[in-house]
Amino acid sequence: MDRKARFAGRHALVWAIALGMLFPFIVMIGTALKPPTEVFSLPPRLLPEQWEFGNFEAALSAMPFWRYLGNTLLVSGLCVVGSLVSCPLVAYSLAKLHWPGRGLMLALVLGSMMLPPQVTLVPLYLLWNKLGLVGTYFPLIVPSFFGIPFFIFMLRQFLVGIPDELLDAARLDGASEFRVYWRIVLPLARPALATVAVFQFVWTWTDFLNPLIYLSDSSQYTLSVGLYAFFSEHGVDWGPLMAASVMFTLPALIIFLLGQRYFVEGIATKGLK
Amino acid sequence: MRRESFRRATAAAMAGVLATALGACGGSDGGDDDKVEVVFSYLWAGAEAEALEEIIADFNASQDEIEVRGVSNPDFQKQLTSMSGAQGSFDISDHFGNGVGAWASKGILAPLDDFIEADGLDTDDFVPAAMSQMMYEGQTYSMPIALHAQMLMYNKKLYAEAGIDGPPETTEEWAEQIAKLTKRDADGTITQLGYANAEINTSFTTLGFMFGGAWDDQSGRPTPADPGNVAGLEFYTENIPGTYGVAEVRDFTSGFGEYASAQNPFYVDKVATIIDGEWQSVFIDQYAPNLDWGVAPLPYPAAQPELAGTTQVTTSTLFIPRNAKHPEEAWEFMKYLLSEDAMVRFTLALGNLPARISLLDDPRYDTLPQFSTWLDALRSPNAQSLASTPWSAEYTSDLGQAFDDIAQQRTSPAEGLADVADKASSYAP
Amino acid sequence: MPRRSTTSRRQLRLGLAFASPWLVGFVVLILGPIVASGYYSFTDFNLFQPPTFVGVDNYRTMVGDERFTKALFNTLYLTVFGVPLALSLSLGFALALNSRVRGLPLYRAIVYLPTIIPIVVSVYVWRWLLNAQYGYFNRILGLLHLPQPNWLEDPTFTKPAIILIGLWMVGGTTVIYLAALKDVPSETYEAALVDGAGPWQRFRAVTWPAISPVTLFQLIVGLITSLQLFTQPYLLAQTRLNAAAGGPDDSLLTYGMYVYQNAFVFLKMGYASALAWVLFLVTLAVTAVLMLTSRRWVHYG
Repeated sequence: MDRKARFAGRHALVWAIALGMLFPFIVMIGTALKPPTEVFSLPPRLLPEQWEFGNFEAALSAMPFWRYLGNTLLVSGLCVVGSLVSCPLVAYSLAKLHWPGRGLMLALVLGSMMLPPQVTLVPLYLLWNKLGLVGTYFPLIVPSFFGIPFFIFMLRQFLVGIPDELLDAARLDGASEFRVYWRIVLPLARPALATVAVFQFVWTWTDFLNPLIYLSDSSQYTLSVGLYAFFSEHGVDWGPLMAASVMFTLPALIIFLLGQRYFVEGIATKGLK
Repeated sequence: MRRESFRRATAAAMAGVLATALGACGGSDGGDDDKVEVVFSYLWAGAEAEALEEIIADFNASQDEIEVRGVSNPDFQKQLTSMSGAQGSFDISDHFGNGVGAWASKGILAPLDDFIEADGLDTDDFVPAAMSQMMYEGQTYSMPIALHAQMLMYNKKLYAEAGIDGPPETTEEWAEQIAKLTKRDADGTITQLGYANAEINTSFTTLGFMFGGAWDDQSGRPTPADPGNVAGLEFYTENIPGTYGVAEVRDFTSGFGEYASAQNPFYVDKVATIIDGEWQSVFIDQYAPNLDWGVAPLPYPAAQPELAGTTQVTTSTLFIPRNAKHPEEAWEFMKYLLSEDAMVRFTLALGNLPARISLLDDPRYDTLPQFSTWLDALRSPNAQSLASTPWSAEYTSDLGQAFDDIAQQRTSPAEGLADVADKASSYAP
Repeated sequence: MPRRSTTSRRQLRLGLAFASPWLVGFVVLILGPIVASGYYSFTDFNLFQPPTFVGVDNYRTMVGDERFTKALFNTLYLTVFGVPLALSLSLGFALALNSRVRGLPLYRAIVYLPTIIPIVVSVYVWRWLLNAQYGYFNRILGLLHLPQPNWLEDPTFTKPAIILIGLWMVGGTTVIYLAALKDVPSETYEAALVDGAGPWQRFRAVTWPAISPVTLFQLIVGLITSLQLFTQPYLLAQTRLNAAAGGPDDSLLTYGMYVYQNAFVFLKMGYASALAWVLFLVTLAVTAVLMLTSRRWVHYG
C-alpha cells in the first residue's frame, strides 16, 4: 500500500510539473485558433469552441514569415559553421598542447564567459559602424568565427579526456600537429561537436539583442525581431500574435525533437567535474 | 603541409563566398540599374501603410528616374538607430513636429533650405504654426505633411442609455456626464468607464491646454508646473482614479484591445468619451462602421469661457536624414508628397488634416464622416501646440514618467509636475 | 639544451597558432572594446557628433540619477530573489524526476522545452497569460482562492512576473542537475541508508555535497545572467511604437535596459559606457566573492 501510494505520489508530482511546463503552450495554441469574440470572452475558456485559422492568415499576411525563417536559418547556420571551425581549434590548444601562457589563456576564456554584453555593446557597435557593417549580418556572424568562450571551455573539458597515447603515436609517426588534430582528434570529438552545433544553433535562433541592434532593414529581420516588430505594429492583437508565436515556435520545436539527445545528453558533459 | 595550405585555400574561398553572400543579404540596395532607389521608412502601419503604398506606387509609375520603396517601421527606437550608421538605411522618413528641434540640434537631419529655394516651394501655403516647428536656428529641417487636432468624441448609444442629450460644453458638465456613464459591479469592478485616455501623453497635455495651461513659454522653456496644467490633470485624477479606485481603473484598462483594431475600447462600448484625433473618422469607418458616435469641441471650465475652442495641434512631418544615400531623389519624392493633389490623397486616405492653408476648405474632405469639426478646430485662436526644442526628447520622456505616476496616483499632479520642472532646469537654460 | 628550447619554442608557436582565432577575437572584440568603453565613459558622445571629454561627470551624474538607482535596485531584486528560487526549483524538479518514474526521457524533454523556445515568443505568451482581465494565470489563482494581482501594470508585481517566467524556464538547470544526481556515489548513499539516515539527512550529507560544484557553477552563471538581464523585461514593458519604456513606475527597468536606453534611445553613449563599466566591476566583485566563499561549502572530488 505504502509503495503504491509513493508510486502514485511520484507520478502525480511529475505529471503536475509537466503540466505546468506545457500549460503556456496549450494557451498559446488555443488562443491562436480562436476567433476574436472568443479571445475576449469572460470567463476565459481554454480551448476554442470554434476552431478557425483566421489568425494564422492575418499573421501570415502581416509579415513575411518565410523570409524571416530563411534569414534566421542563414544566420544560425553560418554561426554554427563559425563555431565548429574555431572552437575546437582553440580548445585543442588548451587541452592537448603544452605551451607557456596556456593557463593564463584558460583564465581569460573563463573570464570572458562572465562578461556582460552591455560592457562591449557601445564600442562594438561603433566599431561595426566605422567598418560600415551595421545593417548587415556580419556583426551577428563574425564573432562566432573567433570562438565562443563557453564552447571552447566545454570542448576543452571533453578533449582533455582523450588519451594522449593516441596523439603521441601519431606525432611519432611524423604527422604534423594539424594533421593529428584533423584526423584523430576531431573525429573522436564528434559527439561534443554535435552538441556545440546544436547549442549554437538554438542560441543564435533565439538571440534578440544582437539582431535588434544591428539589423535595420525589415527585410533582413530574424524571427525574434520579426515577432517583436509584429507586436510593435499590431500591439495587443492577441489572436494573430499568438498565431505568429505558434509559427515561430514550430521550427525550434522540430529541431528539438530531432536533435533531442544532443541537447539533453550534451548538457551532461558540461557540468563542472 | 599541403593539406594545411589546401585547407587554408578552402577557408579563404569560403570566406569569399560568405562575404559576397552577406554583402548581398545585408541591406539591399537593389532595384533597376537605371532607377535610383529611395527608401521611405515610415511609422505608419496596417491600413494607413497600405494607403501610403498606393501613393508610392503612383509616384513610381509617374516617372522613370526614381523608384521609391516603402517600409513600414512603427518603431521609434529603430528609426533613431538607423540614422546613426555611416550609411543610412533609409532616405526619407516621418516624425512628429515637436521632435524636430531635438534631432536638428544633434545634426541628425539634413537642412532643406537649398532644396526649397532651388525648386521655389511655396512655404507660405503651409500653416504657420506648423512651419515654425520645422525650424531650428533659422534653417528648415523638415516639412509638414499633415496636421492633427484633438476633439472630444462620444458614444451616442451609451449617451442615450444614460439619458444624456448631447456632448458637454463645460468641464463641469463633462464631469457630471462621466459619473453617469461609468458603470460598476457590486464589488467595484468597472464594466464601463465614462472617460479613458486614448493615449496618455497626448490626452494629458491636451487637458492641460484645456484648463488654460501651457507646457512651454514663448522662448520654448518648459513650464510643466503651470497652474492650468495642474488643474487639467486634477480633473482626471479626481474624476477617474480618485472616484473609482486606481487598481480598479488599472484592471479595467489592462483588458483593452488593440487601439487600431475592432477591439478599440471606444468601439466596443467600454469607454463613453475620449479625446482623440481626426484619423478616427477613417478608423471608425473601417473598424467599427456600425458605431453611433459624435464629435464635439473640447469642453472649457465654466469660469473661463475664453478657453472655448482649445485644441492641441500636432504635426506629421517628413525629413531626410543626414546619412541618406540619395538625398536629392528623396527630395523629389518629398516634393511630390507635399504637392496639393498628393497631399489631399494622403490626408484623405489616412483621415488627417492637410498642412496647406489652401486645402482647408477643399470639398473633397466632405466625404469623411464628421470631419468638418476637426477642420474648424484648426482655425480656432486657441489651437495650441508643444514647442520644438533641442531638449524635447528629454522633456517628453520626463513628462511621460510624471504622467504615469500621476495617473496611478503615486504622486499628486502638483508634485509630479513640479518634479518635472526641477528636472527640466538641468537641461533647459 | 638546444633540443628542449627548440621544442618549447615550437610548442609555443603551435599553441599560439591553434589559439589564434580566439586570441585575435579577444583583443578585437573583447579587450579593445572594454578599454574603449572605459575611454567613452569619460566623454559625452551622442553618436552623431564627435565625443567631447567631460572627465568624471558621467560618474557623478550616476550617483544622483534616480533612474540609475532604480535600475540597480530592480536588477538586484531580480537577482537576489530570482536566482536562488530558480536554482531551488530546478533542483527540486531534478530530484522529483530522478525517482523511478516511467517515461523519464519524455518528462525531461517537456521540462527542457521552454528553454529552446525563442524568448520573444515566451514573453508574449506570458504577457497574455498574465493579463489582468483575460489571463488564465489569474483565473487559476482565482480557482485556488488566491489573490489575483495585476501582474503587468501593478509596479509591485511586475518583477515577480519576470521571476515567474524565469521559473518556467528552469529546464536547462534541471537537466544539468539530473545528470549530476546520477553521479552521486551510490555506495555513500547506501551507507547512509544503512545508518538509518532519513531522506533529509541523506540529502544534506550525501547528495548536496556531491552536487555542490554544479551548484556553484549554476549559481555563478545564474548571477551573471541575472545581472545583465535585458530581453524579458524589455519585451514585457514594450509599448506601441516602441517608445522607450521601463514598465509601470519604471519597475521593469533593469540595469541592462538602462544601458541600452542611454546608448540607443537617449543617445548618451558616454553615460551608457560609464554605466556598463560599473556593471562590469559589480559582476567581477560578485563573482570573486562567490568564488572565495565557495571554499566553505563546495566539495570537489
